[in-house]
Amino acid sequence: MKLFYACSASTCVVLILLLLLYPVILSFIRSKSPKFEIYYHSVIALGLSFYISMMLLLLSLILPINMTVTILPWTNTDVFDMDISLQFDLYSVMFMPVALYVTWQILEFAYTYMHADPQINRFFKYLLIFMTAMIIFVTANNLLQLFIGWEIMGIMSFLLIGWWHGRADANIAALQAMIYNRVGDIGLIYAMAWFAIIHNSWDIQHIFQLPQNEKINLPLIALIIAATGKSAQFSLHPWLPSAMEGPTPVSALLHSSTMVVAGIFLLVRMNPLMEFNPTILTICLCLGALTTFFSALCALTQNDIKKIVAFSTSSQLGLMMVAIGLNQPDLAFLHICTHAFFKALLFLCSGSFIHSLNGEQDIRKMGGMLYLMPITSSCFTLSILSLMGVPFMTGFFSKDTILEAMSASYVNIWAITLTLMATSFTAVYSLRLIFFVLMGRPRTKPVSTMNEHDPYAIKPLVRLAVASIITGCLLVHYMVPPKMPVITMPPILKLAALIVSLIGFVIALGLAFMANKQLKPKPPSGPHHFSNMLGFFPTIIHRFIPKIILTMAQKIASKMIDQTWLKKTGPKAASNINKPLATTTSNVQRGMIKPYITLFLLTLTIAGILVYFTIF
Amino acid sequence: MTPVHFAFSSAFMLSLSGLAFYRTHLLSAFLCLEGMMLSLFIAISLWALQLDTTGFLTSPVLLLAFSACEASAGLALLVATARTHGTDRLQNLNLFQC
Repeated sequence: MKLFYACSASTCVVLILLLLLYPVILSFIRSKSPKFEIYYHSVIALGLSFYISMMLLLLSLILPINMTVTILPWTNTDVFDMDISLQFDLYSVMFMPVALYVTWQILEFAYTYMHADPQINRFFKYLLIFMTAMIIFVTANNLLQLFIGWEIMGIMSFLLIGWWHGRADANIAALQAMIYNRVGDIGLIYAMAWFAIIHNSWDIQHIFQLPQNEKINLPLIALIIAATGKSAQFSLHPWLPSAMEGPTPVSALLHSSTMVVAGIFLLVRMNPLMEFNPTILTICLCLGALTTFFSALCALTQNDIKKIVAFSTSSQLGLMMVAIGLNQPDLAFLHICTHAFFKALLFLCSGSFIHSLNGEQDIRKMGGMLYLMPITSSCFTLSILSLMGVPFMTGFFSKDTILEAMSASYVNIWAITLTLMATSFTAVYSLRLIFFVLMGRPRTKPVSTMNEHDPYAIKPLVRLAVASIITGCLLVHYMVPPKMPVITMPPILKLAALIVSLIGFVIALGLAFMANKQLKPKPPSGPHHFSNMLGFFPTIIHRFIPKIILTMAQKIASKMIDQTWLKKTGPKAASNINKPLATTTSNVQRGMIKPYITLFLLTLTIAGILVYFTIF
Repeated sequence: MTPVHFAFSSAFMLSLSGLAFYRTHLLSAFLCLEGMMLSLFIAISLWALQLDTTGFLTSPVLLLAFSACEASAGLALLVATARTHGTDRLQNLNLFQC
């Protein structure tokens, strides 16, 4: 039975990989024909792979086994073997259908969004290669395979963010993503090197079973750095909001629902190593709480619709990190899955609005979308409700459970407070989005070209909306967490998440109606600037520190060594000493009579003195 | 040294230093030269008188005559300088260009 499961599971994964790569290969063969549209092939490939992954999921429902399958040895040296091996546990089997479903919808949507792009075939190819890398990453049972998937995702992310590389902003954003991800990669490579040297194995199951001591802190911190880079946790976060320079489908797929959770997924995977390590767990907890609070704070005053959604993604990633820090990797994973649906939906709806408004992203210039695009608006509202954790929507099941587990545990009270404040901020900026985009009167340009007739634009939204309503319930029923959270708690704790969300909502509503009237001539204040300028974080990191380094370099290299030692004390000093002598000498010999007479007297005096002393 | 010796030699030294250090006018330079000549004249006369050599008594007169020639030549130069340079200031007189 186990053999049957192993065979069918690995067949499924191989099939999925082949299906995802077949449009790419096809495009190489038929790239000359002008009529070739990769779009149809990729949507079919993704749909089929989704159904295949569902088969795998159903199979694992019948046979709940964690299994690793080694397909073939890759290379072996005398001391170190590397195999191609796949892991089929709860995480990989469950994540695949979620990621494939979301990608399927996003690719279908991308056709409408990108139809005018001359390079659309290449765009789909990138997305497919990205998805392949993601599948390699989640099914890897081997740090090398994991690293390969991780790196391909990084490269694809760079290429896709810089898709409109004619714009300087897009290039800067792509470079930022690349550089911040490289910082994370260093962490992962360090951890891999450590495991290879100390444990002599890259097989994840082997690493878990080997005895551990306190030295494991080093690779675990390196893994946290890797997750920080990839999942845009605080201090390596600025690339995520900048990544919104890419096309909206890219933002939806890579930078909200699938790629950025890779860092969290890595920590979920490696959780058995940090399970009994309070230091590492506390680092995760504090990092996550800080991220979720800071990003929610920044989201409050942004005016770009995609930036707001990006910061909410960052905030939710922080929440996942908090769940890791609470030693509840299952909850973190659950939030990864549920978050994928509603965040992809939120992005696609934003993309739909942006596309209909001819690329207008500023929410102050939207308004009244409720009447102009009813279906998209409904989906938008649904996804926002899910994001806020309204009961029995998808987001509720994971978000509420994380907050519940948090308030019932005896961890750092500041972390709890920050996370709860971030939750209420979620409600505030969600309301702000609805208030500005959907409600009120249109503030758009008079000629309205928007319509909802394109089925390719609407179908994915509706499918994702349905998913954001029901999947949370389904996933929770399937995932019985092995680490049960505390059951008994007072009602105020049980309802804490809802209460803070409601408070945030009510306050924001009050503020929104007050903000209609401008009371002062200069309304924005210090806190507003802090939030609107992203906490001055990019300014400090990207400007201030390089400026210090450059100034130091200028002072030491240019001013001290070049200008002082090599110039002022060398040739300049020689010339400065010799110049007065030469000037004086030449000044005397300008041919004037008087100096000669004076010199004559001088000579005479000296001669007289000499003669006097010689005679007497 | 007798007071007479001191008087003419200090007059000579003063005129010489006046010629060397007083830098403004050509006229004053000539005056200093004249002073030097006069002190020399006194020195030579004193020499002849003290040694009681009458044969030498012509030489102060000869010196005086040469000094008158020198003064006239100097004044002619002064006039020429004033005509060519417009002034008799010494700073205008350059050996490289006349």
